[in-house]
Amino acid sequence: MVLGLNHAQLASRKDYFDFYTVTENLAMADHLPMPKIYVIESEAMNAFATGRDPEHAVVCATTGLLEKMTRTELEGVIGHELSHVKNYDIRLMTIVSILIGTLSILINIASRSMFFGNGRRSSDDREGGGILMIIGIVMIIFAPIIAQLIQLAISRRREYFADASSVMLTRQPSGLISALKKLEADNTPQQFASTATASLYISNPFKGNKLASMFSTHPPIDDRIAALEGMM
Amino acid sequence: MNLKLIKWYNLPVNIYPNIMYIVLIVIAIVAIYFISFFNGLKTLQVQITASIQEIGNQLKRQSNLIPNLVESVKGYMKHEKGIFDDLTSARKMIDQASGTDAKSLDKAQASINKVLKSINVIMESNPEIKASTVVADLMEELRDTADKIMYARRTLIDLSADFNIKVTTIPGIWIAPSMGFQPVKGLDTPVTGDAVTVSEEETVSPKVNLN
Repeated sequence: MVLGLNHAQLASRKDYFDFYTVTENLAMADHLPMPKIYVIESEAMNAFATGRDPEHAVVCATTGLLEKMTRTELEGVIGHELSHVKNYDIRLMTIVSILIGTLSILINIASRSMFFGNGRRSSDDREGGGILMIIGIVMIIFAPIIAQLIQLAISRRREYFADASSVMLTRQPSGLISALKKLEADNTPQQFASTATASLYISNPFKGNKLASMFSTHPPIDDRIAALEGMM
Repeated sequence: MNLKLIKWYNLPVNIYPNIMYIVLIVIAIVAIYFISFFNGLKTLQVQITASIQEIGNQLKRQSNLIPNLVESVKGYMKHEKGIFDDLTSARKMIDQASGTDAKSLDKAQASINKVLKSINVIMESNPEIKASTVVADLMEELRDTADKIMYARRTLIDLSADFNIKVTTIPGIWIAPSMGFQPVKGLDTPVTGDAVTVSEEETVSPKVNLN
């Protein structure tokens, strides 16, 4: 479904030799079945993984990324995506967003019963209700924000973890570091990105957007590079 | 009798069956632990065998693929070498003829025409000169093949490291030998000699000079 949204095409071994063979090799090293690989025609540099489990995994990269990366850098990027596949991150993030959605429904119910459900209470039950009411309102306002922040924090942790697993697979932190530097330098906006798929990409598709980067699904690239350099 | 007066400590209940249950549960947990430990090690053993076979598989792929690729690239290069040889000899003739008498110029002219004719034939039968892309493709295939063998070995190394950690750490070291598990060798590497020593010259980064 994500692929349909992004107008992706199946990549062949002949046309995208490095992409295909790197994915094949890393999947072999990671004991994963070979994922389906797709390409998005775009100048912007990015890659993402999707699929509910390793048997149905899909790795997708933009043509911009494939053109500008060397094979070593590509290994770092694909290793990152395969780590998302291996650790069921796609499933995890889906479940987290379902839980957060459920929470917001519950909050909705709570707030409605609070404002419209007072009729059932007897009058001697009212003492101290004012303070509880204020706490309740504060909770109703902040709970969705906190839930959102927790979701984003989980997403960011998974990004660090995927970076680390990628290095464990390729044993070449320098490849992923230079790939991340290239991604940071790249400023082409991505027309195909939507907030629904943001957490799946290797780098945040909404660059330059202040509000989006404050509540980002991805840690700042500088921090990720620093974490990787700590491994060398 | 007033039921409210009966307290929990003077209820007429035999407590021994409860202890029996606890003992049974503990035994079950220990048994489950042993079974999962054994199965985990067996799985790793099978995966290690498979990864050794994968190395063999990749080596076989290499020995089937690379000589054939090299032969076909050689064929291309031989074909195009003819063109370049002809071109070089034509250029030589121009160099020798220039500035001397008209007769040798004529001679050179004639032989250049001949060369050009044959070059035309070659170019027509062969509209694009491809040796450079063919060689580039070969280099990519070579790198990919080397990568595949490297990753196959990496798999063996990682799996045998996992296995050995389980077998040689507590509590594995207490139970693994009695189940018949011994640490595996992994990738057979000499532990002494050149592979594990670094000489003074090797610490200097190599300077690449193609001139």
